Amino acid sequence: MAFEGIRRIVVAGGSLAGYSAVSELLAADYAGELLWVTGEKQGSYSKPALSKEFIQGKSEYSELFLPEIPDARGNLRVLRDARLSALDAAARTVQLEDGRSVEFDGLVICTGAVARMPAITRGMAGVLGLRTLEDAQAIKAELVGKPRIAILGGGLIGCELAASMRSFGLEITLIEGAPTLLGRTFGAVLGEYVLDMHQRNGVNVMTGATIEELVARDGRVAAARLSDRSVIETDLVLVGAGSVPATGWLEGSGLKLADGVVCDATLASSHAGIYAAGDVARWHNPFYDTQMRVEHWTSASAQGRAAARNLLRSFPGATEAPVPFADIPYFWSDQYGLKLQMVGRHDGHDRVEMHETADRALPLLTFHKQDQLVAAAGVNASRAVMRYRKQIEDDAKSRQRVAEPC
Amino acid sequence: MKIIVNRQSCDGNGVCMGIAPEVFDVDDDLYLHVAEPIPEDGEIRARVRQAVTSCPILALKLVEG
Repeated sequence: MAFEGIRRIVVAGGSLAGYSAVSELLAADYAGELLWVTGEKQGSYSKPALSKEFIQGKSEYSELFLPEIPDARGNLRVLRDARLSALDAAARTVQLEDGRSVEFDGLVICTGAVARMPAITRGMAGVLGLRTLEDAQAIKAELVGKPRIAILGGGLIGCELAASMRSFGLEITLIEGAPTLLGRTFGAVLGEYVLDMHQRNGVNVMTGATIEELVARDGRVAAARLSDRSVIETDLVLVGAGSVPATGWLEGSGLKLADGVVCDATLASSHAGIYAAGDVARWHNPFYDTQMRVEHWTSASAQGRAAARNLLRSFPGATEAPVPFADIPYFWSDQYGLKLQMVGRHDGHDRVEMHETADRALPLLTFHKQDQLVAAAGVNASRAVMRYRKQIEDDAKSRQRVAEPC
Repeated sequence: MKIIVNRQSCDGNGVCMGIAPEVFDVDDDLYLHVAEPIPEDGEIRARVRQAVTSCPILALKLVEG
């Protein structure tokens, strides 16, 4: 494909979605300039390993980096440690932090999400979030002094950090507002299981509790006062309070935003030539016939590729049309040597079924909505979970056929 | 095309199995089995390549040829 008149594509963001978009564009028959604006100082790296292998010391720094992307035609220009500060969607220009303006014909927005830091946690020494490699290194550096740690939030990051820190025998208090841990992520049944698992492994879990105030001593956090008025003495506070899409730079761009960049089923934004992928993209997932934003590793990879392909297909002269990106989300979590996995979306399920496994102590469950399988989750049950993935996909496809007029 | 698995780092997360189940299979002991030879099918091979770059632990290496 020649892509007449397509001179420059910009990919914004250096994590997996951006990396995958760049890989796909370089592998495709696109011969124009590809400008990759990545915030990373070195290369793109594995985010899932940060809270697990890297912090536990099982993976070295150098092992975290994704392979270099082959650039056979030499049309890739990489701006490292660089960020875009503005977009004019109608004029098709982006502005770099240093004020330079760059025109583009195509843009793939992969700027991800940033850790949500509640107001009470901001600006105090000894309070850290985890989103980037630099964050993980800062946390690792703190562990040398064997601190007592309070973790705010019993989601994926909070639970994985608690498990990793327990592997060093550190004293951990895990504070979660909901009655179980990871309940929103894995559902109530597995939420109970995860809560029990952390308690058995010696974590002081406080559910139904929130931090009211952090108390500093000599300019550094020393205690957390909880909603029930109890006080936890602590040397380090780790915040796992979720994340928010990194769309600040897109305010005033003309692009439609709503908790992310709003995209159609092909990952196209409200403006021609502009696509989004990864944590920042809120797209219409045809499998669930709803807008969603998925913050998982495998979706970032698949979306990066799909957005890049669809961008090329949207140009005049393309031989194929853009294809909807239909996805069954998948994620996993490693805690205390066990692997928790989930495929699908359990939101709005009306029935949960428990299944027998070889090891009766390990749960395997499926989530149903109006007699259709929408999600499955298990502990150390990779094969079974992946088999359900196929069934979830088949059910989703049959729903789609019903919804679409012939 | 050949896949080399770093057994030290592979943690059986099953990302590869989700992308290319024809080639990758993680058993319940979280051990990854790779079906070889890898099918000639171009569509499957494209997904195998995607699986290799999607491995969050970077435990897979692809040798073309």
